[in-house]
Amino acid sequence: MSQNIIRGLFALLLIVLEWTQPCLPSPLRPICDLRVLNHFIKEARDAENAMRLCWEGCSLSESVTVPQTRVDFDIWEKKTAEVQAQEVQSGLWLLHQALSLLQSSVTNTALHSHIDNSIRNLLSTNAVLRSLNFQEYVPTDGGPDGEDTWRVSTAQELLQVYVNFLRGKVHLLLSGAQACQQDVS
Amino acid sequence: MTCDNLKRSLGFCVILLVQLSLSSALRSAQDFQNKVSLLLREEPENPKCFAEGKKDFTCFWEEDEERAGHVGQYSFTYTYQQQNSSQCPLRMHRVADGKRLFVCTLNSTQMFVQMDIKVQRDGVMIHNRSLLIELAFLLDPPRNLSVSQTDQQGQLRVSWVPPAVKYLDDSMMYEVSYAPADGGLPQVEEVRARSEVVLRGLSPGTLYVVRTRVKLDGISYNGYWSAWTHPVSMETPPAGFDILIISLVAIISVVVFLLSVTLILSHRRVIKKKIWPAIPNPESKFQGLFTVYGGDFREWLGHTNGSLWLRPALFSSEECPSPLEVLSELSLCPPLPSPHLPSKASRAGPLERQEEEVGKEKPSRKEEGLGGMGVWHETPHDHWLMEQLRAFHRLPAPCSQSSLLESQDAYVTLDAQQQASTEVEEHLDDIMEENSPLEVLFASSESRSDLGSMQRSSGSGRLSSGSSLEYPNHTWPPKGPGYTYMAVADSGVSMDYSAMSSSRITDVGKTLVYNEYKNEIWSEPRPVLTRQPQVHTGW
Repeated sequence: MSQNIIRGLFALLLIVLEWTQPCLPSPLRPICDLRVLNHFIKEARDAENAMRLCWEGCSLSESVTVPQTRVDFDIWEKKTAEVQAQEVQSGLWLLHQALSLLQSSVTNTALHSHIDNSIRNLLSTNAVLRSLNFQEYVPTDGGPDGEDTWRVSTAQELLQVYVNFLRGKVHLLLSGAQACQQDVS
Repeated sequence: MTCDNLKRSLGFCVILLVQLSLSSALRSAQDFQNKVSLLLREEPENPKCFAEGKKDFTCFWEEDEERAGHVGQYSFTYTYQQQNSSQCPLRMHRVADGKRLFVCTLNSTQMFVQMDIKVQRDGVMIHNRSLLIELAFLLDPPRNLSVSQTDQQGQLRVSWVPPAVKYLDDSMMYEVSYAPADGGLPQVEEVRARSEVVLRGLSPGTLYVVRTRVKLDGISYNGYWSAWTHPVSMETPPAGFDILIISLVAIISVVVFLLSVTLILSHRRVIKKKIWPAIPNPESKFQGLFTVYGGDFREWLGHTNGSLWLRPALFSSEECPSPLEVLSELSLCPPLPSPHLPSKASRAGPLERQEEEVGKEKPSRKEEGLGGMGVWHETPHDHWLMEQLRAFHRLPAPCSQSSLLESQDAYVTLDAQQQASTEVEEHLDDIMEENSPLEVLFASSESRSDLGSMQRSSGSGRLSSGSSLEYPNHTWPPKGPGYTYMAVADSGVSMDYSAMSSSRITDVGKTLVYNEYKNEIWSEPRPVLTRQPQVHTGW
């Protein structure tokens, strides 16, 4: 009898705590180590190489929209950090859509693991960006406009874009992140 | 006037600027030439392209002078992915060994996107290539390379300044090559994202030559290894002794030293005996001889109690008693009874039986020496011996005399009743004076070194006893029962008689006679004498 009372009280306490949320969610510690992104880049390269060797069962069912990967440093350095972050986040969103389509299109089992890995890494990249206090941006209206995108029709092109996007804009954004610069200085 | 000064200063500044620009242009031209040479070795494809920074891009190819056309005949077309093509203006450079270089330089680039390049000559494509610019970096070598010593031995600290490309420091990797200046295989140390390294495991006190080069790490950016920096030399600190090692060595050496000293001290007597053996000194047996009388034996004899001689304790009991042997005569006379003394007589060995050979006289004849006299103990055998001697004494005088004269034996008169006499000479001169017989022996046998001035030998012979020769014309004086005449023989003592002149004899009679005992093992058996290993008398 006493045990039942104790259990009831304990459950009530947990409910109250969950409801009130007395502790604010602590901010994520910034992930400034670029080796995390380097790891993603290496795995994306492995997927691209595997796709290059694939002849059957590794094609896109339809063309997809992917972000542009080119970086002109003169132009890039003139952009603000928020603009850069938006550009990166919208690109990641597009890539996520494209890789999901590729995942459903590819029948080659060896490539499936690579594509799954790439999608997982892409979501982790989003998490890294969130840890750096970049404002979360979800593109609306079908994504960014044509200047910042292009369309690809092959799986190999898609993975090449994915690799170049990580190595370029994402890497530049993370290496120049203000949250990490404060730690260094 | 001021205007003139201004003009002059302006002109001077212009000249300076021109010189500076020329020098920088020369330097850049030299750097460019070095990079071209490097890529000509490294890159097999044409055109060879490289990026020095984040915004520039240079492509070139080489042609022989005979086949090369005018620069206008060539076109360089590049196309970024999903973009329109663009043209790059070309320029031509003449290089050594008769070659021509066609160069295209872009001042703005797009990275992380594929670029397709086409080179055409008169509309005909001669070169075709696709690349990503961020993967074709050829950076300048690191700057301000410096090498310094550290606190540790065998180490050098190397530091440098990365090439001035913004934000690419994290993606750079370096190779540090170091080798001894006097030759040796260079070793390479790889460094990532750092501009300093400590070289370890170097030889102390050696001059090392260090250089470094840079490349992008290949994850986000890639490229070619840069040219090596100018080598920098630095000597490693000389090998010094570690304090700990020195202290340990000192402690161990002290401990070993103490142990050895302790060992030596504990065994010093043994060591001393080995290194510096003691010279046997008979001083303990002759109390007061050296300390009081300064080695004067006569004095000592005169002042000491003759019973000392007869005291058994004086004599060493270590030696085996040597027997007294009655020697027989030679052929002229019937062989004298030679009492074979029982060998079982136990007597203390003679003290003064010396085996040291003082002289080097050769024995002319095989002879028998007289042994020293040992302890005189009275035993039943002594009586028998005395009887024998008395019997011998009663033999015809001439026979005995001649035998005495010619005999090779020596005889010793023993006087048990007589106390120690004073001088050996008296005893020798007058055997009837009943001097201690041992004095004769001692005087004759003891080392000359001990007796000092009394070193006079009896002619050339080695006498064990001077009795027989001293009295060539004498018979054995009848002494009575108290006297016994005994021939003393010692197996280990030889005696050498040489022909003695009368003058000598007379001289001998007044002089001390010394026996020189020599322990000789005669090869021929002595026909006359028999040897008894022991001496025993009635005293």
